[in-house]
Amino acid sequence: MSELLTPRERFGLLVIDEVQDRVPIFPLLTSHAAVVTGVRLRDYYTNGEVLARCQLQAREFYQTDFISIFSEVGIVAEALGSEFVYPEDDLPVLSSPRWTELERAVPECGAEIKLGGRVKVYLDAINYAWEACADIVPVLAYVPAPFTTAQQLVEPESFLLGLLEKPEMVKVLLDYSTRAVQEFCRLLIRAGALPIIVDPLASGSVLSPEQYREFALPGEREIIKFLHRYDLDVVLHICGDTSGIVTLLPETGADLVSVDLVDLGMVIKTIGQEVRVIGNFHTSDLWLSNPEDIYERVVAMVKQGKNCPRGYVAATGCEVPLATPVANLRAFVAGAREASGYQFPILRQRE
Amino acid sequence: MVIDYQDPPARRVTFDEWDDLFARIPDELIEQFHYFPPNQEPWSKYLFPPQTFAIYGARHLRRLKFDNSLAALRLWGFVQNEGERLFRARQIRRKVVAVMGDLGPLAVIVNSFPGCVAFYPDCWWWTPFAMESKVLLNKAEELGMGEASCFSRAALGAFAKHSYFPDPDLVIAATGASCDDYSAVESLVAGRYSDVLWVETPRRPVNEDEADRFEQLLVAEYQQVLKALADLTGTEMTEALLSDGIRRANRIRQATEQLKTLAYQDGVLPALEMMVVEFGCLHYYSDLTEWTGVVEHLLQTAQKRKERGERVVPEDALRLGWITPPADPLLLTYVEDRGARLVSTEYVINQALVLIEETLPPLRAIARSLLAASLIGSSRSRLAGFLREAVEREAEGVVVSGLLGGSHCAMESRLIADYIKSRLSIPVLEFDVAPPNKAIDRQTRTRIDAFLELLRSRR
Repeated sequence: MSELLTPRERFGLLVIDEVQDRVPIFPLLTSHAAVVTGVRLRDYYTNGEVLARCQLQAREFYQTDFISIFSEVGIVAEALGSEFVYPEDDLPVLSSPRWTELERAVPECGAEIKLGGRVKVYLDAINYAWEACADIVPVLAYVPAPFTTAQQLVEPESFLLGLLEKPEMVKVLLDYSTRAVQEFCRLLIRAGALPIIVDPLASGSVLSPEQYREFALPGEREIIKFLHRYDLDVVLHICGDTSGIVTLLPETGADLVSVDLVDLGMVIKTIGQEVRVIGNFHTSDLWLSNPEDIYERVVAMVKQGKNCPRGYVAATGCEVPLATPVANLRAFVAGAREASGYQFPILRQRE
Repeated sequence: MVIDYQDPPARRVTFDEWDDLFARIPDELIEQFHYFPPNQEPWSKYLFPPQTFAIYGARHLRRLKFDNSLAALRLWGFVQNEGERLFRARQIRRKVVAVMGDLGPLAVIVNSFPGCVAFYPDCWWWTPFAMESKVLLNKAEELGMGEASCFSRAALGAFAKHSYFPDPDLVIAATGASCDDYSAVESLVAGRYSDVLWVETPRRPVNEDEADRFEQLLVAEYQQVLKALADLTGTEMTEALLSDGIRRANRIRQATEQLKTLAYQDGVLPALEMMVVEFGCLHYYSDLTEWTGVVEHLLQTAQKRKERGERVVPEDALRLGWITPPADPLLLTYVEDRGARLVSTEYVINQALVLIEETLPPLRAIARSLLAASLIGSSRSRLAGFLREAVEREAEGVVVSGLLGGSHCAMESRLIADYIKSRLSIPVLEFDVAPPNKAIDRQTRTRIDAFLELLRSRR
């Protein structure tokens, strides 16, 4: 059945604090798009047009509300010189960071930013998708945050030890990473995509709240400030358990916060007056559970989420797993749709 | 606060070039401009580049060329976020009033009421072109207005969608002597989406007796409008408030007239920005106060350029007149790219451009301004001002861009073309603008190219 609003119109209302016809539906449908369209993963993330076509087909197939231009969080690190291998049927894997240790990185961090690697793949994908459907569907491009990017520029052991033993060196690297991510964002904006900041390596599974505040948050805030220069509505996604940093998330300036392994009710209660909340169906359950269970649990999730005062987007907590059965993701979308309706049209008054 | 920013030498720039310029703009300058002054809420900032709006779906911006001044950036940012502005108006408890069909006079009345924001849904006819999208047109077709009618049917789609502007607190629609297609839009809106207060519009008078009677008729109609607005707002209109509303409208109309002279005579602003300015006289893009600032900023920029001898279009460019708004703004970019410039325009909004007489009783003065309207009389009366300017500025050719499906265009474009040929003895190009697309169709481009070549050969 055709709906009254297009995804573009729906999202447009959400970000100006207006009621929509229903909650936008946003399973983080990334590389699963290649699987469901029968494309080899390596072709997906090395060819922008292929990536975009898969996204367009997958969105049409599942009837979701966004296009997701993304393969993995190494895109900026690779663009700065880290090396990745490209398995035929899996996502890129970091094989050799640009620097073996922090001490080698720091002297080179003042250099001018030049982005290579697969950035052009991203830009081609955005351009293709934007030309194809940007009047109807928002085109999102995932941007690894400075902390996540920095962690892939240096051997992980050196970087993680540096957090404890050489924090000033880490911050020099983070400044460099922040400049690079900002430049990456500039290219995405010109191509027509709305950047969504992802910082999986800043998760509570990796960093303490104090470390998050010291190392990850400043870079996120800097990038979001840059995007706000353009008046863009910025999504910040952090994977894993973020319960320890929920109260810090509005400090980043994000307009929409996407959460993963954390109690949705608690998130809404804590920050739902300040930001729109996106989340957070467990992705393992999406992969391994059955459609009936998924449907019921998504209905319950959306009923809870749609009461978020600033607005809500029905989403998975993280990326849709590659091997997710089609019937399961369809059940997710169907459940979200079932529970997502608002009384529309209706106008809310600003308090 | 003094902010260090100077415009680069005047020229038209591409979408990407504007992003380079935007990188140079200090944050403090972005913070300086808010709509609905003195409001300073973060959501009311608007000094943003075309990239922002392209990301949110305004795809056509990528193909256009823009003036490179700060004032022009301000213009585009302000115009592009008008839909959001109307929703924000409701959120801060202003009354949002849709006025339809007369394109100018009703907005003057509504904006005279404190706390009221007037807008013409008619202007959402640009949206399919700006977004390169058929969404609104398809919606209108579902509701009974297909491609056999003017692109203004997009307004019906916008009403139906409830997401391009808020559902208005009041809809006032002019009927009678007005566009047939748009009358159909009004009727369908009235049947489905809103109660409508109808305002009867007479045709253009042919003698003084008629003029007097028609003005009286309109004054009586406007009295009904005042009553409805008083009921809505709880404010009784006074002559002083109305007179102030007229003065504020005239301030913009005067600035627009000055800008037209500077742009069309001295070539200091591109045709695209000027079309946006001319249409600003309809309802000020839903914020009269801030629009006044935008237009006066442009005027200062234009005056400085003239003093310095800076132009954005070459002096020896082919001098064109343009009749009927081109609907697709890319047409204006295209003719300038091909070595032409506009010297005279008639965008069917004469009634929004004439000065409203400040010595008459206010409603009488507003009524008289309506009787100058483009579409309520003969084509000859519509073209009087255009012809005067075309002669003064030595137009070498005239483009008449009809609207595909527009009922009045089908007949009137030919009449206009014949009349201009007979009066000015210069070539006229007449074509219908195709539905929204990424590019100008090849046939139209070829015809424009050939036309410009013809004009060049006549020099």
